[in-house]
Amino acid sequence: MGYDPANPMLDRITDIGPPHYERFFPPVIKNNYGKWLYHEIIQPGVLMHKSETGDEVYTVRVGSARLISIEQIRELCDVADKHCDGYLRFTTRNNVEFMVDAKAKVQPLLDELKGRGNRFPVGGTGACVSNVVHTQGWIHCHTPATDASGVVKAVMDELFDYFTTMKLPAKCKMALACCLNMCGAVHASDIAILGVHRKPPMVDDETISAVCEIPLAISACPLGAVKPRKATNAAGQEIKSVSVNAERCMFCGNCYTMCPSMPLADPDGDGCAILVGGKVSNSRSMPTFSKLVIPFLPNNPPRWPEVVQAVKGILEAWAKDARKYERIGEWAERIGWEKFFEKCDIPFTIKSVDDYRLAYDTWRTTTQFKFTSHIK
Amino acid sequence: MALSKDELKAKILNKAMTAAKPQLYVKDFYECDPESGPRDIKNAANDLVKDGKMVFWSSGSTTMYAAVGRAKDEEHR
Amino acid sequence: MPKHDTPMMDELEKGPWPSFVTDLKRQAVKNDQCWDILGQMELSFRDKMTHWKHGGIVGVFGYGGGIVGRYSDVPEQFPGVAHFHTVRLNQPSSKFYNTEMLRKVCDLWERRGSGMTNMHGSTGDLVLLGTRTDQLEPLFYELTHDLNWDLGGSGSNLRTPACCLGKARCEFACIDTQAVCHGLTMKYQDEIHRPAFPYKFKFKFSGCPNDCVAAIARSDFSLIGTWRDNIRINQAEVKKYVAGEYKNNAGGISESFGKFNIKKDVINLCPTRCMWMEGEELKIDDAECTRCMHCINAMPRALRPGLVKGASVMCGAKAPILDGAQMGTMIVPFVKVDPDTEFEEVVFYIEKIWDWWMEVGRNRERVGETMQRVGLPTFLKVMEIEPIPQHVKRPRENPYVFWAEEEVEGGWQRNVQEFRAKHKM
Repeated sequence: MGYDPANPMLDRITDIGPPHYERFFPPVIKNNYGKWLYHEIIQPGVLMHKSETGDEVYTVRVGSARLISIEQIRELCDVADKHCDGYLRFTTRNNVEFMVDAKAKVQPLLDELKGRGNRFPVGGTGACVSNVVHTQGWIHCHTPATDASGVVKAVMDELFDYFTTMKLPAKCKMALACCLNMCGAVHASDIAILGVHRKPPMVDDETISAVCEIPLAISACPLGAVKPRKATNAAGQEIKSVSVNAERCMFCGNCYTMCPSMPLADPDGDGCAILVGGKVSNSRSMPTFSKLVIPFLPNNPPRWPEVVQAVKGILEAWAKDARKYERIGEWAERIGWEKFFEKCDIPFTIKSVDDYRLAYDTWRTTTQFKFTSHIK
Repeated sequence: MALSKDELKAKILNKAMTAAKPQLYVKDFYECDPESGPRDIKNAANDLVKDGKMVFWSSGSTTMYAAVGRAKDEEHR
Repeated sequence: MPKHDTPMMDELEKGPWPSFVTDLKRQAVKNDQCWDILGQMELSFRDKMTHWKHGGIVGVFGYGGGIVGRYSDVPEQFPGVAHFHTVRLNQPSSKFYNTEMLRKVCDLWERRGSGMTNMHGSTGDLVLLGTRTDQLEPLFYELTHDLNWDLGGSGSNLRTPACCLGKARCEFACIDTQAVCHGLTMKYQDEIHRPAFPYKFKFKFSGCPNDCVAAIARSDFSLIGTWRDNIRINQAEVKKYVAGEYKNNAGGISESFGKFNIKKDVINLCPTRCMWMEGEELKIDDAECTRCMHCINAMPRALRPGLVKGASVMCGAKAPILDGAQMGTMIVPFVKVDPDTEFEEVVFYIEKIWDWWMEVGRNRERVGETMQRVGLPTFLKVMEIEPIPQHVKRPRENPYVFWAEEEVEGGWQRNVQEFRAKHKM
């Protein structure tokens, strides 16, 4: 019995949820659930967790693209079948983790991964550049201002050495979101790459009445820049359309989300902004959002050299100057953001001065500052 | 007193078929019966989809309701 | 589907990081639809723009979530991706798999779609990337019948809940993140699969304040594990740390930054300065500790979270669209997260938030924005939560309190003639 197109509702099953997680625990995980005592990173990409039962589990963390094929998944399964009794897991940052229950099993696993070409980089632990969490970009999204997989590949090629080692002062979590919707939670990352638009939406009078709900398009604008307008289409019919007050547009694209007849993407208008200094962990300092330090870099496929260099410049300035344990945001707060711009050699522009909601919180209201090259 | 589920469904469907906007948020149906709670209205609207009288329209981030045949869509334009 | 000329894509086959282009090409040998993915992607690289259109009515019957519709705007050129809908499978909590199950997913996706996936999407789903409308019902039938697996959320639904790996492989976990994630996923299947709310609503569960699923930054409702008694100290291990027998941060930070130094690396970095050495013993004034995790991260063999464990409830986090990003606001400092009561305390707060937000939330307004709009005092009143200093970073700085009439002696009804009689103009 399979699916019967003539009778699609026959034996329909709904709302059964995901498979229960416990089915997928390797024995060493199942037997030691809640009993872990401590862990140690024994080499970059290899973790050892010790249980109060005396058991140990060794985890080999492997960097992966987020966009992967089923052929690639099958290959991961082959490795897991051969070395890990048929179990594996994925992390929230798109890494793959292979677990074995004895130290002696680690090296054969590492050899296996190495033997498959340089497609399974071991790393992503401790004070490293972590794998980049990101969104879809041009592979699937309808509202992006930049690509995702391509930019990430270019950046990680350049920073590869920082993924496979642990030589930074602290961890550096990177993220990319291909538009201001930020479905990748870019807004609290050490370094975030964000796709931005810079041209206001066009209005397509030929299609708008067929595909859009005008009131929804109007209410989608947070700044009231979209207003109703009567227009005449090519056929000479009077139709209901909208106008956009370009002066008030903040290029968020929310109107386009609700109305496909208001496209704003553009080869010259779109590009990437760089935000830095966010974190989600409560460790030492409180969780903070990333701050916009570079308002715009062009989309320059296939390798986005401007973006790659900007990210690398910030990373290396921090790595050179920060104290042990200091995340990028903690470093910038300690030295002062004026010093951050100077040390990273990033020109400070008015675009980094907030003029949106709650902006006042970011204005400096003290006489405490440092004399940097910005003061002429 | 709140409407019965069938009465509520009839009002919701009527609104979906006659409203100026073909696509409606669940909140747009709240006025169909001020006595029914948001949960009852949501359940009645979702029931109408199960009955094949309405469809979900999704932008990916937001979901709306439309009477069958009224929604604006790539394949059904 | 024929192969296209893709010089820009090909460039991304170079370099040490795993190449999605090489992977796509390998998949294309089995499924020639992938040549059109590469072709359209190449066109986007040339045009510096996407070639995908909006979604629409696409879905499986009766579900308002789990499928996101997508169409190419150049279907004549790339017929293989004319429809390119995504299917979100609700991932098993914390993303452990066995190969038998993963291979079944691969086989299903080989028959019913492009063969490309995201492992995983940002919210947590196992994302199957790219299929045609006519494949959706058969795929759903096979998914539910043969794999006993279901779709995740999208649109104005409860989105697929996600959690860190918790007690499965972490000594810091203060709550059973998998149990609560799976338990609530099962409890709220209707809300995941059918729209219920003014906008999306996300659950995330982290086992400790390190917050490895970034719950505090992106989920409308999150539990973050914590404890309310004392950090457990193993003084024998402290001595070994001090003696230099153990590495920095469980080996996570290079010794080129100096060897482990308990004063510099732990005591001086404590945000509340509540630690000190007495002879060879490490002392902590736990009443002053805010449980930031730094000392425990730095010396996990010597320090462990306490034994009275639970979670803080945070509410209202979201990405910037539209009013700006919000972190989760601490609503309840400590709840028990108890599988034996089916997470009674947690469910109580979730449903209270939902009942209120479904009523007053505007269309496309995240609950954090509704909270901002009405203000935290109103939100706390609605939630029947007693205000405590833990709800704020600091007290308000302006004096514009919205007093209620019943709070003021004598009420607001006054006689202006009586006033005027005593106070001439």
